[in-house]
Amino acid sequence: MMLKKFAGTCAILLLLTPFTSFSQDLDSLLNLSAFTAESELQKALNKGTTVSSSKALTLRETPGIISVMSSEEIQNTGARDLTDVLRLIPGFDIAQDLQFVQGVSLRGNWSNEGKVLVMMDGQPFNELLYQTVAVGNRFPVDAIERIEIIRGPGSAIYGGSAEYGVINIITKAAESLNGVEVYGMGGFHAGAVGRTNAGLMFAKRSDKFAFDASVFKGKGIVSDQAFDEFALSEVTNSDPMNLNVGLRVGGLAFRAMYDEYETSDPYQFITYNNFYSDLRYTWKASSKLSIIPQLKYYNQVPWRWGDAESGELEFESRATRMHSQLEAVYDISRKVNVNAGILYFSDQATDLLESDMYQGENTFELNNFAVFAQGLIKHRLFNATVGFRYEKSNRYDAAFVPRLAFTKKIENFHFKALYSQAFRAPSIQNINLARTGTIKPEKSNVFEFEFGYQFTPEMLLAVNAYSLTTRDILTYGSEGEGSEFVEWYENATKMGTRGIELIYNIRQKGWYANFSYSFSQAIGGDETVETYIVPQTTKQYTGMLAHKLTLNSSFAITKGLSFNPSFIYGGKRYAFTEVDADGVGIANELDSYLLANVFVNYRNLLPGLTAGLGVYDILDAQPELPQAYNGGYMPIPGRSREYVVKLSYKLDFKK
Amino acid sequence: MKKVLILSFVLVSAVASAQTTNYQVHSLFVLNIAKYSEWPTADAEFHIVVFGKSKMYDELTKLTTGKNINGHTIKVSQIENVTDIGNANIVFLADGKSGNLDEIVKATEGKSIMVIAEREGLFKKGAGFSFMLTENNTLRYDINNAALAKRNIKVSKNLANLANSVI
Repeated sequence: MMLKKFAGTCAILLLLTPFTSFSQDLDSLLNLSAFTAESELQKALNKGTTVSSSKALTLRETPGIISVMSSEEIQNTGARDLTDVLRLIPGFDIAQDLQFVQGVSLRGNWSNEGKVLVMMDGQPFNELLYQTVAVGNRFPVDAIERIEIIRGPGSAIYGGSAEYGVINIITKAAESLNGVEVYGMGGFHAGAVGRTNAGLMFAKRSDKFAFDASVFKGKGIVSDQAFDEFALSEVTNSDPMNLNVGLRVGGLAFRAMYDEYETSDPYQFITYNNFYSDLRYTWKASSKLSIIPQLKYYNQVPWRWGDAESGELEFESRATRMHSQLEAVYDISRKVNVNAGILYFSDQATDLLESDMYQGENTFELNNFAVFAQGLIKHRLFNATVGFRYEKSNRYDAAFVPRLAFTKKIENFHFKALYSQAFRAPSIQNINLARTGTIKPEKSNVFEFEFGYQFTPEMLLAVNAYSLTTRDILTYGSEGEGSEFVEWYENATKMGTRGIELIYNIRQKGWYANFSYSFSQAIGGDETVETYIVPQTTKQYTGMLAHKLTLNSSFAITKGLSFNPSFIYGGKRYAFTEVDADGVGIANELDSYLLANVFVNYRNLLPGLTAGLGVYDILDAQPELPQAYNGGYMPIPGRSREYVVKLSYKLDFKK
Repeated sequence: MKKVLILSFVLVSAVASAQTTNYQVHSLFVLNIAKYSEWPTADAEFHIVVFGKSKMYDELTKLTTGKNINGHTIKVSQIENVTDIGNANIVFLADGKSGNLDEIVKATEGKSIMVIAEREGLFKKGAGFSFMLTENNTLRYDINNAALAKRNIKVSKNLANLANSVI
């Protein structure tokens, strides 16, 4: 940094001399930045991102409400898994789906089932049967280069699983590593081992060629607390495994991934097996036009579950997807960019237990066709993004979602005004279990406004307000037990939230702090989906937070050693935590909590070796994870204080 | 009261130091454009006028104190009215005053006055030069050679070769 500043000063001094000596080389002028030097914070803010646009724009101008967390920040927090990272992001929280499976909520809405798209190295983790993403001790958090999060709708770009948000995880092996890195971590409660995870990454890259391979395996528990007569540390597990291979030769890129995740409650086990393959070619037809054909094939056995004691399977179904896509990106001029594409995919499910569960058949097929387009105009006064997606299925009504965004950074100030429609495409099981025989895509209208101001190069304050309304919500219901058990999906009427999110970032030499506050309020009215209503309030849905405060900070003690405290305050929640004698759920208030964590990290303890030690939930607050709807499941007891040890070693290849 | 004053001072200086347009670089471009251009007549003083309130005036003043261009001492001034342009060699049109371009072009017609506009694209509307920002945040310029020729101002090949576009 110092060297760069010095070089810049020298360049300007050299340029000053010609006015007396007239020996100036004009060329050197062309390399000077038109802006004053970037601070560390500005470097992060000015990095281009394509998560919400086809052409890279800076975080302050990209047409979405975005959070980005770098590997440095993730490593400093000592995050144990993805849930620790997401809890630090405004609007996000974790709750229980059922059977102790954990999922995400966003902006006060339960978002686990197809409302937030989770991708790792471009591969979608929303499984094909229900579109859920199980989180917990699952993702290789120490292998992450960067997480880009859209805290708002992404359907116009990403389709029917990104109605409320997008989490885009990019691993080091796929992005930046040119060498070998091995990492491991352990988490220890007073009376149980919380987790032991380890991974190995290898990557070799040059301009025209890149190969990466990584493996991640772990073993963990869902909680270390008691539940009925069970010690959960003995009867639950949360065990991930991920194999990830990528190859790029010129414009041709291939990625294959195999992911396994096994978790359980005291009575049942649940496993997810997912295979992904993705082949794409970026053909630069001209300096302005790129054409990108893509082929993808996914093969999954998600939500396979059965009796923990006997091992007898209750549900086992295979789901596959064949996906083909053709996309074109055209730079009409330096300031106008368009991209458009067409895609077709076919999902097929096969009941492996041969119980003819698919409407009396053993298999089920779903075909989708979509067209999408986006245009970006960079004007002096604003950047305008206009886009849409139209998706048609053989199983449900078509969905059309337009998008319009205006953004601009003007010196220290920036604004974003965003309007987007978004949709949730019914998945295989939504259609298969449709109560009335038919089901529609659910649709959302989302308005977002953000204003930000940089008081100093090291400081940014950004505030956004949003209004999110969803209609025709795909809602799960069930009744009865044993042979009487019936489950279904139906389109409920309306729900949504309004809220604000505030972010204050400060990054000085030697320390940084990121503070955030998020507030959401449920829209009222009689139309709200019953399963999300609690009797205590109409302002919050079941299990959702209304207020959240986070503080994530880092202080360098020496060049390599840093002290990193982080805090998460969650306000009151209301959830169904017990049942009465008739089996009817009783909602109770869950106390607010403060998660205080600290991690001490030592980079390059020896060349390439990084070690860290930390404590999660120092105050032993143990916030429980309630079910996010009135579904008859008791909350997952919160884990107790966890001591975390991390170790990693990286060897870079010579360039 | 003292506290308030101190706080407002901190905020003002903070605002001033956030990442903003670096007019030092714009100034260097203007001075090099001057150096590599030829005017039909030459006074002892080379006069650069900044039209509109802009940090450009401060930067140009700082850079040119005690310096000269092709043997001529440099004078920099800041004006708000077209009538004050006088016999300037260069009028630098600040972004906020871009709407005055037509008026400036008309008022200086037939005179050897080079108009350099800060705002992109104004070279197509009669300015001799206008700046543009590249993808990697460096500065370039476009040239309207026809407009300059009408004013009997010649730009060197070096200058034209490095332009983003020339019309």
